[in-house]
Amino acid sequence: MSLQAKMMITLLLLGNAVLVVELLRKRKLTESYTLLWLFVIGFTAIATWTDRLLNFLAIFFGAIAPVSALTLLSLVFILVMLIYFSMKISQLGRELKDLAQEVALRTVSIPAATTPPPDHGEAEGDPRP
Amino acid sequence: MNRNLGKGIIVIPAYNEVGTIAGVLREIEAEHLGMDIVVVDDGSRDGMADLLEKLHVKTISHPINLGYGAAVQTGFKYAARKGYDYLVMMDADGQHVPSQVRALLEGLESGNDIVIGSRLAAGAAAYRIPAFRRAGIAFFSLLAWLLGGVHIRDVTSGFQAMRREVFMALAEDYPVDFPDADVIVLLGRKRFRIREVPATVRERAGGKSMYSSMGTALYYPFKSFLSTFIVLLRLFRERRGR
Repeated sequence: MSLQAKMMITLLLLGNAVLVVELLRKRKLTESYTLLWLFVIGFTAIATWTDRLLNFLAIFFGAIAPVSALTLLSLVFILVMLIYFSMKISQLGRELKDLAQEVALRTVSIPAATTPPPDHGEAEGDPRP
Repeated sequence: MNRNLGKGIIVIPAYNEVGTIAGVLREIEAEHLGMDIVVVDDGSRDGMADLLEKLHVKTISHPINLGYGAAVQTGFKYAARKGYDYLVMMDADGQHVPSQVRALLEGLESGNDIVIGSRLAAGAAAYRIPAFRRAGIAFFSLLAWLLGGVHIRDVTSGFQAMRREVFMALAEDYPVDFPDADVIVLLGRKRFRIREVPATVRERAGGKSMYSSMGTALYYPFKSFLSTFIVLLRLFRERRGR
């Protein structure tokens, strides 16, 4: 890989590292996801600057050029992350549904005719103090 | 209270049915079925919640729209927690005829665990179903028969009566959207006794069917097929103790 390509990749990785740290500072990303991204950025930086590792990866994956191996690894990583996020969204959706159902079940509105007389002679939900 | 079945409840999942819900409730009350009624308002935005308050009907209100299956499941959870012995499920759009609830209950009394009111069973009044939807229903009916051992012609019917054991099982896990053939296969495999009785279904008075959009027409067959396959896979894993 040419020095120019290595420099460009490194600059992009640095930009991404700054971005994820900044997102963590603004509480838009949790520590666990920040660490994951920093780990991936670190690994990519090492692979970019270590010719032996990149060449080994290229031979391992049967890629023609070392940079193709890096691209392939990135694609696999993105695919894995997308599946992971789909799983997370499904899980959050299920939890949201259970939570909304629980809230609804705890606040069932009973018809006035069958509502037991509330304490202190006030109507249930009466906003008056 | 039904002498033979115990304490029953009618569950009506509803979303934006302000135009029809009052009529449905009036019709049910006129039948004097001796059952409680609960409407599950699935986050309606058409003022149905206000109307239900005025109608003095027991209402469970989802804070957000969760989908038809989730609304049904909330009804199951409520019935399970309140100790009901049987449950009848009816749509809020006025398509189901409350006088036919008795036919469903007779099915339960004769020893079935779940009774489905069917537009397609022999003896049911003619009901107009678009050809492609009819073909879809026939395909999933065949699938339910092959995989679940249950011969139900109208697998998409939301007009059902069931015993406590059934809604207790479904309260735990129920599909959020299009709970159809997969649920029938699940219940069939769990050896519940399922019967179909003819039911007259009216044309929709308002609103639109959840099956009617183009997106749904494309999504539904794949989703239902996958869900049915997954139901089988889960049961297989359960039996192997995993």
